[in-house]
Amino acid sequence: MADISRRQLVAGAAGLTIVGGLAAACGSGSTSTGIGGTNPGAPKRGGNFRLGVTGGGSKDIMDGQNIITKPDQARLVSAFETLLLFDENYQLTTNGLAESVTQDNPRQYTIRLRKGIEFQNGKTLTADDVLYSFQRIGTKANGLTGFAATATMDIAGMKKLDTYTVRLPLKSPDATVPQTLASYTFCIVPAGYQAYPHPQIGTGAYKLKSFTPGAQSVHVRNPNYWRGGGKPYFDQVTIVDFSDSTAQVNGLLGGQIDAMTDLPAAQVQVLQSRGMHALVSKTGGWLPLCMAIDIPPFNDVRVRQAMRLLVDRNHMIEQVLSGYGFVGNDLYAPFDPGYLTEPQRNQDISEAKRLLKAAGHQNLNVDLHTTNGAAGMVDVATVFANQAAAAGVKINVHNDPNYYGTQYLKLGFSIDFWGTRSYLNQVQQGSLPNSPYNETHWPPKSGTGSNFISLYNQALATTDLAKRIEIEHEMQTLEYDIGGYIIPFFNDLIDGYSDKVKGLRPSKGTLNLDYFGHGFSSIWFG
Amino acid sequence: MRARFRWGGVSRFIVRRLVLGLVVLFLVSLVVFAATQALPGDPARAILGRSATPTALAALRRHLHLNQPVFSQYWTWLTGLLRGNLGTSLAAQEPVTTLLGPKLVNSAVLVAVSAIVSIPLSIALGSWAALKRDKIFDTVSSNLLLVLAALPEFVVGVVLVILLATIVSQVLPAISTIPPGSRPWNYPSYLVLPALTLVIAVAPYVSRIVRASMIEVLESDYIEMARLKGLPERTVMLRHALPNALGPVFQVIALNLAYLAGGVIVVEYVFNYGGIGSAVQEAVLSHDLPVVQTLAMLIATVYVVLNLLADVATITVTPKLRTQL
Repeated sequence: MADISRRQLVAGAAGLTIVGGLAAACGSGSTSTGIGGTNPGAPKRGGNFRLGVTGGGSKDIMDGQNIITKPDQARLVSAFETLLLFDENYQLTTNGLAESVTQDNPRQYTIRLRKGIEFQNGKTLTADDVLYSFQRIGTKANGLTGFAATATMDIAGMKKLDTYTVRLPLKSPDATVPQTLASYTFCIVPAGYQAYPHPQIGTGAYKLKSFTPGAQSVHVRNPNYWRGGGKPYFDQVTIVDFSDSTAQVNGLLGGQIDAMTDLPAAQVQVLQSRGMHALVSKTGGWLPLCMAIDIPPFNDVRVRQAMRLLVDRNHMIEQVLSGYGFVGNDLYAPFDPGYLTEPQRNQDISEAKRLLKAAGHQNLNVDLHTTNGAAGMVDVATVFANQAAAAGVKINVHNDPNYYGTQYLKLGFSIDFWGTRSYLNQVQQGSLPNSPYNETHWPPKSGTGSNFISLYNQALATTDLAKRIEIEHEMQTLEYDIGGYIIPFFNDLIDGYSDKVKGLRPSKGTLNLDYFGHGFSSIWFG
Repeated sequence: MRARFRWGGVSRFIVRRLVLGLVVLFLVSLVVFAATQALPGDPARAILGRSATPTALAALRRHLHLNQPVFSQYWTWLTGLLRGNLGTSLAAQEPVTTLLGPKLVNSAVLVAVSAIVSIPLSIALGSWAALKRDKIFDTVSSNLLLVLAALPEFVVGVVLVILLATIVSQVLPAISTIPPGSRPWNYPSYLVLPALTLVIAVAPYVSRIVRASMIEVLESDYIEMARLKGLPERTVMLRHALPNALGPVFQVIALNLAYLAGGVIVVEYVFNYGGIGSAVQEAVLSHDLPVVQTLAMLIATVYVVLNLLADVATITVTPKLRTQL
């Protein structure tokens, strides 16, 4: 109940004031039924939770505000926490370190910290730590992932109003600040904090004990954890790097690990037949086919629309994701309250042929560039090439190991990958002239669609959610009609865990295993 | 009659082979350098990928000495290599020696254990099969080994895991993740499945060569003579047949060990065993040039040294060869 009222508050007319939510209301409230319908019972203390993660290597780091590899994400959330939190439906809540984040006017936010939260070394969390955390992210030379999102923030002008209150002024209106404050690259670190090998002291459930990049890290229970209620439950958490999912699955089956990230779809049955579980989470992750709207032949909108009509989206979900995903509509941010689902675009070969003929490209022959980056990036390209062949379009797939080298973002037709974001945050990352990763060269410089930037700025400055959604709809309609993305699907995240592990729930966020069991604080051995 | 053993000839031979080995390694170093650093294209850009900003590019080019002429880059690298200064890993930001040291120990232990088990085992199997030629033991073992030789290590590893660690029984650990700071010998049970997989990968080849070589020797005149002379079969086998049969076998063993040194990748993958194999794969994927170059040179050195050892061993056990030196 508390969840719903809170969500309504967030989504309501005063949508940008995020208040309320007692820690106790959500603290030990995770007594919902587990996956497979079995009741997990009351949480128990003890044990060493061993998590196998792929994607790591000697590049592994530990930093409260930055990640390079996937195991870094698990390490980060074990020890560090954000001001606001997304719930399992990717809606903002005040279950984080702040009891409220209020937008006073389009150019100013006030952050009120929860009182009595202590870091793992007993130091109390205060406004000074928040100031330091923002300054650290906002310093370009630190090279942190969150830096791009600080563009609208006037970090130098931030003010400590009292021990627990901080004022955040903006350089330009930005209604997406609360989402930013909930992303894991905006965790709060203590004043003076530096990355590993310096001490890693956060407010989180587990404290770093040892760390060897490319191998493993060991984290011990924080007995002083502020959420209380017996949390966290394990004595120790061990995060182990794996180079391959075969070994991960074997380790899980053999009982050497208790959970694993990114279970291959083909292995779901194998785990289940051995009494283990797959955690299937619907996420907003996507693998777009990107057409640059200013490079021939894609500078002709008829060609772009024809390409979008060539895709059999359900078939692609079967082929690429073994069915684990849901249909996309060439628009991103499916969990945004303003996400436009209608009309759903479907395969229409004859219309595609007609458009191509009208554009003078009956026998279109184009190169599609991809790489073995995120899982599925090559499969999407080859499946699309097969589907396009039905309309006589020849797609030459180039799997280039140096894809993210010189040519990236300069290609006419390419595949990329993205995680879950809300709409305006994603626009800022990929669909503006100054975005770091704008593959489609959107928006058009003149004519229809050239008003996209001014719509974006309008949306950022609009504090009324209903009005902002209206503007978002207008922006999405432009992208739907003349944009450069083909977004066939949003892929599920599949993780595996043993029957011993209780308390995991599917969630729509970016991170595996339900935000790694909420930083390992809400899961236990049954 | 026993041939005279002339150490002078053998040591001259070893010196000659050592010099040749160094020449080979020098040529390898040229190829490795050219393939990783000097080829057209910008290694700095390839390494940085999606995060290549002009400042980051400039800094990395300086770090890799990419702004110097190619010859001077090679000279810096080669002299560093000779002094044991292998550079700093780009991915891990720590010296290559610190990064690879524990992995090298892990792989060496795994290869050594596999070799210690597989070499005597395959010599015994092959010799026994040759002695019992066309009997039931020979037929069964020859066919079985042929089947095993045809299976890729990946399949062997996965089948062993299913049989001994996951589905059928769980008597051994399915993965062999050696915790950092520990050594493989602290966890003997972790070594069993990876070593067994490698033994199954190597032993069939070696024992088939032993069998063939042994059969040839057993048919020779001097064995017939020894038997006619009334020597016990044991003496005939161990004193006369085996040393002569082992000549060609050393070459096969050396090749297989060298193969193990470069080819443990698959096995380390299946068992998540942190060794050189996984380091090669990771370094290549993350464009970690100093690590790739070090590993390439290391594997080439292992090949050269093993071949040298095999040649020396072959010569010392083959009377006809060592008298020719």
